[in-house]
Amino acid sequence: MADSSVIADRGIPETGQPLSFLPKPNRIPGNGAVWVGIYAEMTEFALMFLVYFIAKVFHQEVFNQGPLQLNTLAGTLNTLALLTSSFCVAKAVASVRMNRITTAIRWLWGTIICAVFYLVVKTWEYYWNIEQGIEIETNLFFTVYYYMTFNHFLHVGWGGGAILWAIYRLKKGAYSAENHEGLEAIACYWHMIDLVWIIIFPLLYVLR
Amino acid sequence: MLITLTLGSALIAESAEPSLIITLVIAITVGVKGWLVVDYFMELRNAHRYFRIAMNLYFVVLPVMILLVYLFPEGIANLVDLER
Repeated sequence: MADSSVIADRGIPETGQPLSFLPKPNRIPGNGAVWVGIYAEMTEFALMFLVYFIAKVFHQEVFNQGPLQLNTLAGTLNTLALLTSSFCVAKAVASVRMNRITTAIRWLWGTIICAVFYLVVKTWEYYWNIEQGIEIETNLFFTVYYYMTFNHFLHVGWGGGAILWAIYRLKKGAYSAENHEGLEAIACYWHMIDLVWIIIFPLLYVLR
Repeated sequence: MLITLTLGSALIAESAEPSLIITLVIAITVGVKGWLVVDYFMELRNAHRYFRIAMNLYFVVLPVMILLVYLFPEGIANLVDLER
């Protein structure tokens, strides 16, 4: 949570530039509520990863061959898109702390572009899969693949909706250097979406 | 760094045969990428320690699971087999 003492400690009023991007110690970024959501989502995906590991030890050959049939380019492009989107969100939060609202909005639009890019690439990948004869019931690896990636696809979709909401709130003047708890909460949620993909990508596209 | 690690993973996906070293590299890559995002993008590196520990632990357990599944698939299968 960003309060005025934090901002003052970092010298923004005098210099217009924070002394450090690191907020005060022992804080909870965003708010408590969003972390309930983040831990719930991380637990949900942890269960999916558990299913992946258990399915893999019982069907080693299928899980060794599966990644070779997937489109690595699509997986890599989506990883780069999500990492870039997380960078844009972090820059947006840093901009708001300097009261550069217009700049923050531009960074968030960068996030939206990355999110749309991700959704388009993933949709293209699903069509590409169908052309290769890869469907949900092809084998257990692809069942896990579709369940995990489509679930993540939905998260990127509604996470993008949250970013749009943040842009709307910024335009309405709801966030400032002194008060941007809501933006931080949305930023943390978006980073969580990126984190989950950081695990999904190697499990499904790389690991054999 | 994050982009380099991603491109490295893509290279492994396209060219490398499965081995302990490759699996170790992938597991470490997952851990490092996770820690970087948690510490720098989420800004948890000086946040409340319970929050930081919980998130960082996720990126210790997952890489360890990756290694264990590679090293002991039969043992884990026996452990979780409900019909045994």
